[in-house]
Amino acid sequence: MVAAISGAVVSSCTSAQTIRVAEHRPARIDALNKSIPSVEKQLGISIEVVEYPAPERDYMSKLLTELGAGNAPDLFTANFDSDVADLVSAGYLAPITAEVKAWDGYAHLFDVAKKLSTRANGEIYALDSMLGVEQIYFRRDLLDKAGISTAQPTSWKDLLDRAREIKKKTGKYGLLLPAGISWGGGAFNEGFALFVPGSKTPQIANDDGTLNLNGEGVRDILGLYRSLIDEDLMPIEPLLGPEPWVIPKYTMFPAGDLIATTCGTWCYIYDWGKDSKNPVPDVIKNVGTWAVPGMAGGSSVTVSGRNIWAVNAKSAHLVLAKKVLLALSSVNATVAYAQLLGNIPARKDAADNRDFQALTELVPVLKNVENGTFLKSAPGFSVVSEGVARATEALLRKQTDAVGAQAILVKYVKDLLGDKVVK
Amino acid sequence: MAMTYETRVAWQNRMLLVPALVLLACFILIPAGAAIYISFTNEALSGFAAAHPQLVGLKNYVRLFSDDGFWNSLVVTAFFVFGSSIVGQFVLGLASAMALSRPIAFRPVFNAAILLPNAVPEVVAGFIWISMLAGGKYSTVSRIVGLVGIPPQNWLGSLPLLMIIVVNTWRGIAFAMILMTSGLSAVPTDVYEAARMDGATPRQIFWRITLPLLRPTIFLYMLVSTAGTIAIFGLIYTLTRGGPGGATEIIGIYIYNQSFTAYQLGYGSAVAVIMLGVSVAIGTVYVRVLKVQV
Repeated sequence: MVAAISGAVVSSCTSAQTIRVAEHRPARIDALNKSIPSVEKQLGISIEVVEYPAPERDYMSKLLTELGAGNAPDLFTANFDSDVADLVSAGYLAPITAEVKAWDGYAHLFDVAKKLSTRANGEIYALDSMLGVEQIYFRRDLLDKAGISTAQPTSWKDLLDRAREIKKKTGKYGLLLPAGISWGGGAFNEGFALFVPGSKTPQIANDDGTLNLNGEGVRDILGLYRSLIDEDLMPIEPLLGPEPWVIPKYTMFPAGDLIATTCGTWCYIYDWGKDSKNPVPDVIKNVGTWAVPGMAGGSSVTVSGRNIWAVNAKSAHLVLAKKVLLALSSVNATVAYAQLLGNIPARKDAADNRDFQALTELVPVLKNVENGTFLKSAPGFSVVSEGVARATEALLRKQTDAVGAQAILVKYVKDLLGDKVVK
Repeated sequence: MAMTYETRVAWQNRMLLVPALVLLACFILIPAGAAIYISFTNEALSGFAAAHPQLVGLKNYVRLFSDDGFWNSLVVTAFFVFGSSIVGQFVLGLASAMALSRPIAFRPVFNAAILLPNAVPEVVAGFIWISMLAGGKYSTVSRIVGLVGIPPQNWLGSLPLLMIIVVNTWRGIAFAMILMTSGLSAVPTDVYEAARMDGATPRQIFWRITLPLLRPTIFLYMLVSTAGTIAIFGLIYTLTRGGPGGATEIIGIYIYNQSFTAYQLGYGSAVAVIMLGVSVAIGTVYVRVLKVQV
């Protein structure tokens, strides 16, 4: 019996350690599975993929519940950069500063990826291994057919006028901005946040952790939403139901019933690419992009983190989990995600990768990355995100105007974070 | 001092209750106590409060009384409980029990058809009805009503509350039928015989004899069904997630949304405590005021 026990102990010491990695959505799981064999071989470990519910919101709810209970996987991704600050302040993430800076891939990261990954105190808790370049995507073919200009809009007024012209000449919806509670974090990250840099409130988070939510800029952005809703320039009914992006982005836009929408690079591949459910034919030619115009001029392209890998602070295999994190941020691993999801590897050397070069939809976008802008985040940003979802929900339901919507946002954030946080 | 026989038997009976009490404590009392405690904190799933929750007194309760979303969910829940449990399931359950207490052709088939929905798990039932109701002109219900000239609808979008009432009624008729059947079987047949001999019409028999004698069963059903319907979550979450725009956000979904999508465990717990109080109050009304024996 002693021999059997000691045999079991010896065999457990020599068998490969298992790192549990959380992933959700079939495309992401497929991309991860492509990279696992090489990572396992490289590190001499075994990787177990723990599948989570597909919708981003459900994924985060389950993950946070497990993080709070202390039984979450060793490695997981955050949905948005705005989630990371709160994950850090909740104590869920292990610091990875030393490992990332000593990593040979660090020198190849785009500067914007380094900035997005680094917190105000210089520490890194999550690595933006991929980037989403977010702009306004429009049906160039349909605008050309209707004789509507495809030139870059120069201001919010110009953008609204273009949407009105689209509605008048084609009868179709002119511009969609994600909104409402059902859209979850997307209402903020894929809609509202894109207009912040060009508004009178160019940043929400201050370095002291306070949040600029009382400013004119926030009210003006909500006013833009209000105009689109009141003039029936964007679809409303789908945004009030579950999975609100499905009908506008996967059905209406390919069918030409919605002419323009904010989106990110993933849309060229995941939403409308040749392997998507409802592809747009010749997508690179027929779908163009505009930078998001500033309110009074100028324009910006927002770059945000995607595949934001982080290590569970309570992982029993911290050292190995960090190595797996870096291995999943390699060129090959990020290109595998790019092929199936359409985001951009956060590394400049991905441009030399043959498989990435075959992604002709994405290669030109890589050049825009370094010119992109991003929103600073701070602890409490997930509350801001939820507050924007509630404010835009009230606009969708025509219960209030921009001033009222801003009041909903400010009240929600103050109720949860305290009066002193909001400026 | 030696126990008397009666004392020993009394203790033995109490010991028999211990396993049930342990389970009750582990799965009901302790979690309820924890929820009450959490409702007085700012505990959250993310952010600083996740790592360092603090007692905030009655702040969550003050907030919920000024929260339009909470009051909306109460109103939606009230309509949902009244429409599906108190009216739909009870009326159709009683009608089914009375119809199936007579010797009719294919009685086992009708019995099975009514009982089967109750055997289907909540989430599966939700997905079945999504295929019936969602998809506009492609939904099964739209295709059926289209045969009689009714235009297709986005049923879950245009009539969401009515649809969830219909679905929950469909699912709950069996329970009502089973209880009413057992209640009807306890009514002595000679009472009906005597009534018929005295010339009572079927309507008079129903209103003057059947319903009064069924009263204890009916109110027992109301008690159990009301409490159970207030607590429904999976079926409605699968169907509509509480939308569109909060139109079907019953209180269970509201609590879930506050706790697990807005990550505010303290606030969600406060709402849950309020609903615990409401459920206990409703149960007390049924038991005390209506003098129901349970």
